Amino acid sequence: MIEDGKPLFVQIAEQVEDLIVDGTVAEEARAPSTNELATFYRINPATAAKGINMLVSKGVLYKRRGVGMFVAPGARELLLKERRNDFALRYVQPLLAEARRIGLGPEDVADLVRAGEATAVPATAAPIDQPDRRTP
Amino acid sequence: MSAVIEVRDLTKSYKDAVALDGISFDIEQNAIYGLLGRNGAGKTTAMSILTAQNLPSSGQVKVFGENPYENPKVLSRMCFVRESQKYPDDATARHAFAAARLFFPNWDQGLADELIDDFQLPLKRTIKKLSRGQLSAVGVIIGLASRAEITFFDEPYLGLDAVARQTFYDRLLADYAEHPRTILLSSHLIDEVSNLIERVLLIDAGRIIMDQSAEDARAMATNVVGDAAAIDRAVGGREVIHRESLGRVASVTFLGHLDNAERSVLAAEGLELAPVSLQQLIVRLTQQRSAGAPHVAPAAPEGSLR
Amino acid sequence: MTTLNPVAHHTAPRNRMLNVVRLQFLNRQTFLWVPALILGGSWALSMLIFWIVGGAGQTGVKAGGGAQAPLWYFLALGIQAMTMTFPFSQAMSLTRKEFYLGSLAAAAVSGLGMSVVFVLLGLLEQATGGYGFNAYFSYLEWVWMAGPLAAFLTYFALTMFFFVVGFWFATIFKRFGAVGLASSLLGTGAVLVAVVALVTFRQAWPAVAQWFMATGSLGLTLWGLALTTVLAIGSYLTLRRMPV
Repeated sequence: MIEDGKPLFVQIAEQVEDLIVDGTVAEEARAPSTNELATFYRINPATAAKGINMLVSKGVLYKRRGVGMFVAPGARELLLKERRNDFALRYVQPLLAEARRIGLGPEDVADLVRAGEATAVPATAAPIDQPDRRTP
Repeated sequence: MSAVIEVRDLTKSYKDAVALDGISFDIEQNAIYGLLGRNGAGKTTAMSILTAQNLPSSGQVKVFGENPYENPKVLSRMCFVRESQKYPDDATARHAFAAARLFFPNWDQGLADELIDDFQLPLKRTIKKLSRGQLSAVGVIIGLASRAEITFFDEPYLGLDAVARQTFYDRLLADYAEHPRTILLSSHLIDEVSNLIERVLLIDAGRIIMDQSAEDARAMATNVVGDAAAIDRAVGGREVIHRESLGRVASVTFLGHLDNAERSVLAAEGLELAPVSLQQLIVRLTQQRSAGAPHVAPAAPEGSLR
Repeated sequence: MTTLNPVAHHTAPRNRMLNVVRLQFLNRQTFLWVPALILGGSWALSMLIFWIVGGAGQTGVKAGGGAQAPLWYFLALGIQAMTMTFPFSQAMSLTRKEFYLGSLAAAAVSGLGMSVVFVLLGLLEQATGGYGFNAYFSYLEWVWMAGPLAAFLTYFALTMFFFVVGFWFATIFKRFGAVGLASSLLGTGAVLVAVVALVTFRQAWPAVAQWFMATGSLGLTLWGLALTTVLAIGSYLTLRRMPV
């Protein structure tokens, strides 16, 4: 699941974000604990804790003393906004770069996108039962 | 965080060789350390001295603030699982666990029983007649179920197959999460342990050449593949730790990270960037050092960092 | 989240030395059944020989050295305690001192048991006139000169002597290798030869014999215990700084 040299704790944070974005973990629901993440992804608990802390400082999770970590109200909206902002950079730019390389113009790409959408299987949330299933 | 082990200028020399050459480091409480390095680098010697099974030639070792040598107060809080541990000839695994129960105050028999099941360890056969993997399992079970405040695992997996090794890693992690303690794990199989460890201590020819968080170590180096001339421009003054070339294409590993601007420049030049795994980094660093010091004896046959 | 480790021993746990005795007895075979078997076996074998000799018409006192067989096992026990149990004791996070004193105590427990059986057999032989046919395994006149308690002490001192000698030589072998062991054995031999030579040159054998007679078995036992103590201390000093 190591990709692109991204730090492990960032990847863990993204996994938890995925759960929130696709609604698996609702707002005000309990988020996976450090130890659950550590044993599931087979990583050091300190790394998992770092990922969780990153989400706390981002306002996605908050701590209830003695109970655990919970999803903050408005967290999903926050993440969706962030992901939409990143979408161009993360997906569209590489797409256009490859298109240029093989001689496709923006219109051709748009056509392909529309054609793809027509035949696509309805999108389901990527389950996280496999640590290495996620692809960028 | 506080240091449970403090080592200062530790040297261990034998008649014809220096095993440890004035090393210093701290081990913080409740963390998993990877003690990495080639065979004969000094890992076992260091762990033996920390557990008072061997004596330093010079330098200072403190465990829980005290000298561990002949110190029951300190020793009773530690457990050292050796790769080549010897057991009495007539002892069975059952005897070994019964003994461990006598001496480790935090011994968890329930956990030991589960592990015996996991590894399908025969209890009534003498240890002498166990397979290499089963012998390792005896040590692993003692190390985990003793729940000592500091546990040393020295290449604990010899003869264990991939499934049994995964069992060990999973059990280690799960039990560590429930009962945080300090663990030093020495290993050749760096890829297998790289996500488990929080900090890396890399030891080479009796010296510590890396002492940092695993996270930082993973981000320490970058690999770039592409046109050799373009790479040289991109790498600039950074320290190159490995270089291979095939015609005009080169693969260069260098220390340091690239910011986003530099990355886009490289991408535009058609260079491919790849992260450097902990294992690759360690192989490159130790190779580089051996190359720089040709008098260093070649490693034992199995000594390659796989 | 994680909880802090609640265990913090600020004092050494007690009874660790006592637990070493339990450790040595974990496998009852080593310190209990094997010595018992050797004692029983050598007794039975001695009796068989005495019976055959008796059948051949010998009616006098029949005595033999069968009772010394278990003593040699203590030599093996000492070697074993060093070569096999010591490395394991280190895996159990014991200090050398704890291991050494505990092992001596375990040998003493075994030696005491053996000596009790030895004396009980002797008393039985004394009472029954050698099982009714003048056959003596334990009741050896010279050993029993000063009574059953002295005989008990003599036998016990010998078990400990053999154990410590075995332990020390095994320690020397492990620490200094075959050359070290050979040198110490040769050294010991040389000292003995020197003593013999000295006595011979000074024509002091009658005086030596007289001293032995005058000291008696009890006196010799006490000297033996003193020697064993010296050996035990030497053995510990060798072990103290030995790497595993």
